[in-house]
Amino acid sequence: MIKTKKAEKKTAAKMNTISYHMKCAQTANGLTHFVMYGDVPKKKMPL
Amino acid sequence: MKNGRGLSFSDIGADWKLALDPDNIFWGIIPRDNGEFILPDNLMDLYKKERKHLDTELYNFRFNADLNCIYIDPTDRCNANCPYCYIPSRLRKQGAQMTAEDMDKALAKIEEHFKNIKKKPVIVFHAAEPLLVKDMLFDAIKKYRKKFLFGIQTNALLLEKEDAEFIKKNRIGIGISLDAASADINNRSRVTAKGGGNFKKAVQALDWFNGYEGLNVICTVTKYNVDRLSELVKFLHKKKVPCVLLNPVRLTQRRAVNLKPDDMLFARNLIQAVETAMELSRKSGRQIVVGNFANVILAIISPAARRMMCDISPCGGGRTFLTVTADGSMVPCGEFISMKEFSGGNIFKTSISSAMSSKPFKKIRTRIVEKIDECNTCSFRHICGSPCPAEMHARGNIYQKAAFCEFYKEIIKYAFKIIAEDKVKYILREGSLSQMQYEYRY
Repeated sequence: MIKTKKAEKKTAAKMNTISYHMKCAQTANGLTHFVMYGDVPKKKMPL
Repeated sequence: MKNGRGLSFSDIGADWKLALDPDNIFWGIIPRDNGEFILPDNLMDLYKKERKHLDTELYNFRFNADLNCIYIDPTDRCNANCPYCYIPSRLRKQGAQMTAEDMDKALAKIEEHFKNIKKKPVIVFHAAEPLLVKDMLFDAIKKYRKKFLFGIQTNALLLEKEDAEFIKKNRIGIGISLDAASADINNRSRVTAKGGGNFKKAVQALDWFNGYEGLNVICTVTKYNVDRLSELVKFLHKKKVPCVLLNPVRLTQRRAVNLKPDDMLFARNLIQAVETAMELSRKSGRQIVVGNFANVILAIISPAARRMMCDISPCGGGRTFLTVTADGSMVPCGEFISMKEFSGGNIFKTSISSAMSSKPFKKIRTRIVEKIDECNTCSFRHICGSPCPAEMHARGNIYQKAAFCEFYKEIIKYAFKIIAEDKVKYILREGSLSQMQYEYRY
């Protein structure tokens, strides 16, 4: 029974319309640390 | 809808409908409800509220972003002979090579150009093979390390353990070229000038870097390795590589055309590689990011945060970056190295500003999706950006749609599915999301 409720909740959450927009807030070079050359953080990042 | 503006609708699998303004990348993903898709009124209200701000943000990103990266090719020569290389073989065998004095002059000029800019510009030592002159590069890095952020792209054939230590110590970004997880497949495309391939040396380099945060692997996807991408991701994850780029082969040189993988086969295999990366990252707690797919996700959720400047219109060539070739010529991008008509001047004789305002640079900056047939009506035009102008110029007309158009459409639809399923956190590097904030959220 509990399992069913959880599953229902999951389905309900999945059924919502989604829309969002994000902005870089804090970066080393004005851009996100995510991939490329030249933006290796000075301190170790979690990998 | 005014002046043809508004939301377009497309299917994202069977369960979701995408509402998207192609001109500013406002999007909403609407679930099926009792067999139907109903556009919520308040999503339209949000769209009307955010539209102007998103228009401005995308416009500024496309047309007002500053130059922030200079690629330097310290030598035209290469110790490899990859069949898809965009540098003609004549140049790779006998091309120019900078002296230490040339390099210093170039870097001093770049420093002068950026002297009033607060953010450190990025210098990437790139093709052909920069480590052919590694002593000169490392001396330049030592001298200018407080002025610039540095990166190196290499086939690793000349990389030694102490070089790797120097790179890690100085927090230099490093890209290693590797096309497959097995020597026989990798060495078909990553061929050394003497025969054989770079597999052994590249893998040794990955071991030396041992999970270094600034490491990424660049894989050029061709018909040779297109069905082995997932296997490569597994291999690189074991080697603690944090990021891999699975880039489509550029068709700038004629001999690369025969290596182009089928678009749909590439899309299926890239999606499988991304699924593998997510599963490995979740299970192990150690991430591997497929960088070019992460960039597609960014193009949707935070368009101005994307890093790779090929997949944006106009591309970043001659706009946010330029390339200085070994003879000092400034071209919008390394892909133009063999096209003299695209030189915007010589860094040893003319200024960077004059190159930026030169006719060939303007030609690349004005190559926009709005002027390309099919792209001008495609909903995804500002997510893929229809690369690449150099490739299309080589194929006779700069105003042609992307060679991998169908591939991009498939992976963009998949990216929206990933967003709908709330899996973005597994796609972007962890440190990335924590540096971002919601501007709005429905």
